[in-house]
Amino acid sequence: MTNRKLLSEAKLWLVAIPVLLWTLIPIYHIFLFSISTKDSAFSGRLWPDHPTLRNFGTVFRQEHFYLHHFWSQIWNSLWIAVATGMITLTVATCAAFAISRLKVKGGRTVMNAALFTYFIPAAFLAVPMYKAMGTYGLLNSRWSLVLAMVTLASPYAIWVLKQASDKLPWELDEAARIDGATPAQLFRLVYLPLMVPSLVAIFTYALLLAWNEYLYAFLLLSHENTIPLAVGLGHFLASDDSPWEILMATALIYGLPPVAIYYAFRGYMVGGLTSGAVKA
Amino acid sequence: MASVSFSRIEKSFGATKVLHGISLDIADGEFMVLVGPSGCGKSTLLRMLAGLEDIGAGEIAIDGRVVNELDSKDRDIAMVFQSYALYPHMTVRDNMGFSLKLRKENRRKIAEGVSRAAKILNLDPYLDRYPRELSGGQRQRVAMGRAIVRDPKVFLFDEPLSNLDAKLRVAMRAEIKALHQRLKTTTVYVTHDQVEAMTMADRIAVMNEGRIEQLGEPLELYDRPDNLFVAQFIGSPAMNVFEGVYSNGMVQALGAYWPCEVKAQEGQRVAYGIRPEHLTLKEGGITAQIEVVEPMGAETETLVKVGGQNLTMMTHGRSKVGPGERVFLAPQPAQVHLFDAASGRRIG
Repeated sequence: MTNRKLLSEAKLWLVAIPVLLWTLIPIYHIFLFSISTKDSAFSGRLWPDHPTLRNFGTVFRQEHFYLHHFWSQIWNSLWIAVATGMITLTVATCAAFAISRLKVKGGRTVMNAALFTYFIPAAFLAVPMYKAMGTYGLLNSRWSLVLAMVTLASPYAIWVLKQASDKLPWELDEAARIDGATPAQLFRLVYLPLMVPSLVAIFTYALLLAWNEYLYAFLLLSHENTIPLAVGLGHFLASDDSPWEILMATALIYGLPPVAIYYAFRGYMVGGLTSGAVKA
Repeated sequence: MASVSFSRIEKSFGATKVLHGISLDIADGEFMVLVGPSGCGKSTLLRMLAGLEDIGAGEIAIDGRVVNELDSKDRDIAMVFQSYALYPHMTVRDNMGFSLKLRKENRRKIAEGVSRAAKILNLDPYLDRYPRELSGGQRQRVAMGRAIVRDPKVFLFDEPLSNLDAKLRVAMRAEIKALHQRLKTTTVYVTHDQVEAMTMADRIAVMNEGRIEQLGEPLELYDRPDNLFVAQFIGSPAMNVFEGVYSNGMVQALGAYWPCEVKAQEGQRVAYGIRPEHLTLKEGGITAQIEVVEPMGAETETLVKVGGQNLTMMTHGRSKVGPGERVFLAPQPAQVHLFDAASGRRIG
């Protein structure tokens, strides 16, 4: 290995190691707390004297005051995330097809206007969103959060899918038209199958965005039976004497589905979300 | 099968007019080649016939029926694209049967159609493969198969061989020609390659800057080009052309007198055209210097310099002269083409 290569590798490690530690230390902390007893959680040791899985049992059996709705809250999280993923995917796919393949007049303007909304911080939009949901009587319904998340996820989703769909050869549409395909058949039989990697990536993106959401969930949902687990976790911090070991065990459980989803679709995520980043 | 008729077709992209009133009649079962340089409007004309491009002005008729307002699918045409345009997620069988599936034909009929086309093109062993598993030539055959399955009135080919290597192009050229002779379907074929045009066409329309420069049978275009553009576009190597002044049955140019049988006006400025194979070496001819000798086996292409201009000469067999040697050129007067230097139109 030449000196230059060594130097460049060393620089890479110099950045990678702090980033890795920065990411892993909190996760290790969560794990450490979740397998510790209440007494030893704050002992400052790197490994507990008597590691235990009892905290997880407490969570699954909903045996703590803050966890009486654990299963319904995790179900809410899942329901909201999947609904957000599905609706975002439907909206963005149709929009990208219309803008990119059907060349609908004004389509690009609409997309650019949608992207422009990202200049407005989400926190600014929270109050108007709350007001709008109140007007339509959706407050405290899971749909309010789903609709809010679809609003936030759609512009980026449309943009990514539009870029990916621009890369499909135009001749395929023309060949399909000559073969007798209507726009709907073109969409279903040619466009969707070719867009699968990007569609999976966008579905995963919207799903994870909704799964991880706290601010809007906290604002739009307040009933114990409608809130997602992210908000439920926040309730742990309501008292001075929080059960940290149970909070962390719950957090660890809550963090596992995104890891599994990301792992399952990692190929699509990298390929799909970066597709269209540069013009091929 | 059907006739195709273009009548005063015009097309503009923004302020740029790309077709200037094209009129062209293609007979039932004819193999018509539209040839011309990039940007001459040949592909646009084909795409208008396919219904992929709006018609600015004029009428297009297939089998006597005006199709201007008809969707592509209702024109009863099939098109083969330069990039094959095969559906990457479908097998060869599904690609070829796609149009029949859209027409809601029953499975037996689709299978029969695909099988018939596959037999014609020797695609049987590849029916369950995906396009990515095929070579360029095989893909192009699948694209043709997809067109055959539709059993259309007119085949449209848009530079179908441009993506293939030279050897495969020659082979596919023969296959397309054989296919046309077998199916006798009216065919409109677009290419920028004049060799393809010459070898495949029943008639050729040479296009330039949105106009048809000349329409005719291949050898007619070769032997009697209407103008300088066609003269230089058709033929490989291209015709030698240089300007001079006509005087008493000769053209004075490049510091020499060049013989010709065609009569022009005394003192008229003309372009003197002679094909490379009509230039021979003969004692007492026009003095020239050999620049490059390119032996090609059966023939030899020789680049000679006369009066500062390079001319190409094509001779049968092997060359006995080498670079730097002085030789004497003898053009065959009966084979000389004269064009008016100002208008570029043929004289005589």
